[in-house]
Amino acid sequence: MAAPGPEQPRLWQEAAALAGAVRGALGPRGGRALLLRPTGEAVPTRDGRRLLEALSVEPPAARVMVARACSFRAATGDGAKSFVVLLAAVLGGLRAAGGGAGLRRALRDFEARVLERAAAQGLRRHLRPAPPGLLEPLLEPYLAGRLGPGERRRLALLCAEMCRRCAPAAAARPQVLRLLGRRFAELHAAVPGLPLASSRVLPGIVLRRDFAAYCPTDGVLRALLVTEPLRPALTAPGVEFVVDSEGQYQASLRWIAKRTEALMKRLQSNNVKLLLSSVKQEEEVIYYAKLYGVSVVECLSSEEMALISEITGVFPYTPFGDDMDREITETAVVTFCQPLLLVSKRCVHIGFTSVSAFQPHCLILCGPVDGVNEQHAAAVQEAFTMLQQLFKTVDQREEWKAEGENQSEASDVCTWHSSATQKQLVIENTCNSNQVSECQLKALSDERERKILDPDESDLLVHNQKNHSTPVLVVHNADTVSACKCLCVGKGLEKTCCHIVPFKQGQSCAGIGQDYSNCLIEAGSVLPVGGYFEILLHYYIQDCAKQCQQSEVSIVSNIVADALLSIPKALYRTAERNGFTTFYLEAINLLRKNQPLPVNNEGVESVYCKYQLVISVLHCVTELLSIDLVIGIRRPLQKIEDHDSEDDS
Amino acid sequence: MSRLEAKKPPLFISEPLTRDAVSQSLSVLSGILKSSYGPAGRLKQLHNGVGGCVCTTSQSSALLGHLSISQPVLRVLTASVRNHVSRFSDCGLFAAILCCGFIENFRSLNVAPFTVIKISRHLLSLCMEHLKSEACGCRVSVDFSSVETLACLVRSILTSKPACMLNKTEVDHLTSLVLKAFIFTVPCHVEANAVLGKCVIIPVKGRRVVDSTVFPGLLLETPEIQLGKPLAVKRTGSKMIKIALFSVSMSGDGFNPEEGTVAVHHGISLEVSELNQLLNVGKQLVKDEVGLVVCQKVMHPSLKQYLQEHGVLAVDRAGLSVMEPLGRMTGSQPIASIHSLSPGCYGTVKDLCVESFASKRFLHLIPEDTVICSLILCNRSETAWDELKRVCETAEHVLQLTVKEPLALLGGGCTETHLVSYIRYKSSSLPASTFKDLDCSQTQYQLVAEGFCRSLESVARSLSHNGEEILTDMIYGHSWFVPSGSPCVSKWSDLVSRCGCGVNDNTEDLSWRFLQSQSGSPVIQGCPKEPSAKVADLLTLDCFAAKCSGLQVALETANLILDLSYIIEDQN
Repeated sequence: MAAPGPEQPRLWQEAAALAGAVRGALGPRGGRALLLRPTGEAVPTRDGRRLLEALSVEPPAARVMVARACSFRAATGDGAKSFVVLLAAVLGGLRAAGGGAGLRRALRDFEARVLERAAAQGLRRHLRPAPPGLLEPLLEPYLAGRLGPGERRRLALLCAEMCRRCAPAAAARPQVLRLLGRRFAELHAAVPGLPLASSRVLPGIVLRRDFAAYCPTDGVLRALLVTEPLRPALTAPGVEFVVDSEGQYQASLRWIAKRTEALMKRLQSNNVKLLLSSVKQEEEVIYYAKLYGVSVVECLSSEEMALISEITGVFPYTPFGDDMDREITETAVVTFCQPLLLVSKRCVHIGFTSVSAFQPHCLILCGPVDGVNEQHAAAVQEAFTMLQQLFKTVDQREEWKAEGENQSEASDVCTWHSSATQKQLVIENTCNSNQVSECQLKALSDERERKILDPDESDLLVHNQKNHSTPVLVVHNADTVSACKCLCVGKGLEKTCCHIVPFKQGQSCAGIGQDYSNCLIEAGSVLPVGGYFEILLHYYIQDCAKQCQQSEVSIVSNIVADALLSIPKALYRTAERNGFTTFYLEAINLLRKNQPLPVNNEGVESVYCKYQLVISVLHCVTELLSIDLVIGIRRPLQKIEDHDSEDDS
Repeated sequence: MSRLEAKKPPLFISEPLTRDAVSQSLSVLSGILKSSYGPAGRLKQLHNGVGGCVCTTSQSSALLGHLSISQPVLRVLTASVRNHVSRFSDCGLFAAILCCGFIENFRSLNVAPFTVIKISRHLLSLCMEHLKSEACGCRVSVDFSSVETLACLVRSILTSKPACMLNKTEVDHLTSLVLKAFIFTVPCHVEANAVLGKCVIIPVKGRRVVDSTVFPGLLLETPEIQLGKPLAVKRTGSKMIKIALFSVSMSGDGFNPEEGTVAVHHGISLEVSELNQLLNVGKQLVKDEVGLVVCQKVMHPSLKQYLQEHGVLAVDRAGLSVMEPLGRMTGSQPIASIHSLSPGCYGTVKDLCVESFASKRFLHLIPEDTVICSLILCNRSETAWDELKRVCETAEHVLQLTVKEPLALLGGGCTETHLVSYIRYKSSSLPASTFKDLDCSQTQYQLVAEGFCRSLESVARSLSHNGEEILTDMIYGHSWFVPSGSPCVSKWSDLVSRCGCGVNDNTEDLSWRFLQSQSGSPVIQGCPKEPSAKVADLLTLDCFAAKCSGLQVALETANLILDLSYIIEDQN
């Protein structure tokens, strides 16, 4: 079945409906939505991605919008709601202007000629570096978009405390943040029925089950990880045990008991006082463990086992098949091991000596109901993703190399010739399965190559026209651009766009870091929250549009510039009347007089994410407008790589 | 995989709190809860219409556990209160009524939810700071060297649950039993990590409440044991009785169901071989001078007989629930293998005797150091017994919480009215910078503070069920009840004798006012005072930890509900 592509009014209606559904949850004054699952659970949330997915929209174009918003959110940890609001505003503007293929083509020209110029000539003068070491100014506004007004301050403090205690050395922070984001499910424990004020950060990790056997000990001890039953079995699947005599049967059982006992004795003599088992052990094993002073924790999940392996660098031990006299070397060093009473439930609390920069700490989240804890946990986890964007600094090349080597299966190399410079850009398409959700955006530079740069290059824009099956592109510039940023929009069968932000030489910009004065938006640049980014970009786009000759580009410029204001308008929606107008007029007046904007104390946000949001929205609009036919098919489309598998937890 | 069946579109409800259905359900729920609150609360009968037993109760855990609530907003409320009850056992109705009050009072204000939440958070922090400060006039410190305050605490809990149908003698009797049982569970020798013991409740239905009693140690139900016969038990050199505890089945057919197959040749009996092994264990036990063998599961009759012939008392089918207290009390390790017995597994008891109680026979294990005790709890009917059991567990839990934090709050509505006086006084004297920090105007702050106070007052008012008027005094901020139908008099002191908690009496003029009068609430001059009188012996007290947490949870839940702008319901 085929139907003509959605027309502009239709697109706008769908986008406006989506925007209407999320607008109420946008910004620091937004409200919460209560999602009722078919199982009867009630989960409060303000997460744009969850909201959009819960709406489970039907029209294909709206589904594309939701998918784009969600994949943008997955990459940066933020911005799904703003994405939809901005998208609806741009589509609305285009509709009001009459639409047409001319405007669609002009969108691309707008990006190259106006948007980048506006960012380079105007916006970057206002940027400032992120406050070093301080996480709260970034976390608090982020959590303000995700949590209720009474909770954000407390959780921002907890989140920052957790980061600081897990990574005492600031240099290790990017690496630790990645681990925190990935393993957060195992690094927190939720306690319903207590007020939020009881939440805290504890050293070590908490396993949410009781000891199968607990033998109190003092001081440092050793722990062993096992993944199989420690009691030898009489038979196994497909194995027949033939009983010849009663004596033989009893002797076999006795041998099993003796063997189990001998193993425990051996553990004791090796100072192993804690067994961490991923499987349930026989009662006999627990009994002998108690006799020989070995504590046992059973039924650890594979994620918990992986986390412990990662912290301690120790792998599970196989007890059989080796001679019994060998010293057990696969032991982890445990600084303490004790029961922890989480109000009325006993849990296991273990402190490990870490072999990496990550100092294990655990977040105890308290809230009146499970749903609230779930919301808090999701917000904190995504806050870690958001913080990673900030720490992705330009000098991450070494680390990136290491990652690339690990995962360099199926990488193809494409080569383009840039029309402007005739220099080669090499784009490596790396199948980066582990890192999909967290490093879709990479910013990197090549300092060695910068010296030979030609300073009077004109704007450079490369569009990757190829269809890629993998969503992650790592742009590795050989010698052209000192810093480039790569954004990939879309997943699965969708067209993947690779966009390289150009830089412009010879402009008088009050550079922040001398080293990176060549790039458009430095990693780590921030602006105060509360619509400053949008107002600034609005102003400078209009400014640049005036110099533009083409009438269609200037129409598009005005549309985008006005659409940008939809976000601050939504932010000031619930504030006192005329809140937005006052703010807008004040800001524009200051900009006209070339004065700095006033600073509020509400915190800062990453400009990088914001700028990418605008570009992603424009790409999404282009894509939607380019569709001319909707074809219904019988079989469901296969998803090639699931972006969000990690975030679904 | 995509789902192939047609999905129903989700239901989108915006501004759920403005809907009539929600406010109606809320007022019904808060009506049910308010009418059940306190010692004079009305009872609720829960039944399912197709027969079965009827539950008569006024407790939040029973009420909220059985009500099926369709409004999602209220489901959040009840889930939160039930979580609170599962943590603290007490103050469930307090939290629930308060939460309903917050929602009702804040919703009717013409202030944006964002602002309401910020201000109410600030008010809560004022309350918590006050409750945690030394100067707080509505808390008393609990002295563990005397039993009086503890008795007040337990008595208040027992009397606040009218469905137990207790008279005064019964309350006194149970109060002393609960306290005795609690004191038994405190370890005699204090170590660094002292852990409280356990009180095991044994049900005896159909007897009078005053027949209830408490024993140190454990009672194991043993129907076979002969009454009257003296127990001939082997004792060790130090006059103690050695005990062996088995967690493994000793029935002789306990083959572990492993994967794979066991092929047995003709003429070989694994049962016989198992039994032989069991008898070997028996021989070993006799040799080790064990006097009592307790098995969690079933014991083979032959083994039982063998043991009895050799003067060893054997008890089987003890059940999993007694294993942990039994191990703790006797210091024995439950044995999980019949192939090797380690002497380190045996424990000891001081003495054994047989107790008989209402046609049931028990073996009484008397330990050296008591951390485990057994409470035989009697009540006439099944439902009243269930209620009584919940109350006794609550009382034990409250005493445990009080050990951790030796404080109690004044009951009888006095804590609530005291907090109201404090908030009214405090909110009238806040610096302008507070309003700036909260991004609100002073009027908004006053409006929210008034809603906050009214919610607290509505909890105190819920204690009155017979049309009593409630007064509050302007000195201490306590609550006073005027019996209904009282004549009009010029002096309030002729009508009121004691305040709700029992600390203050009517000897001095305390300038009483109506609680929630139409003419607006007067603000007292200065912080409400701490009562000067020494603690009387018949005080009504509430658990400090439970009430503080209940207050916080109620506000957090109300804020969560007020913050909802829409509901998206997945209808699949």
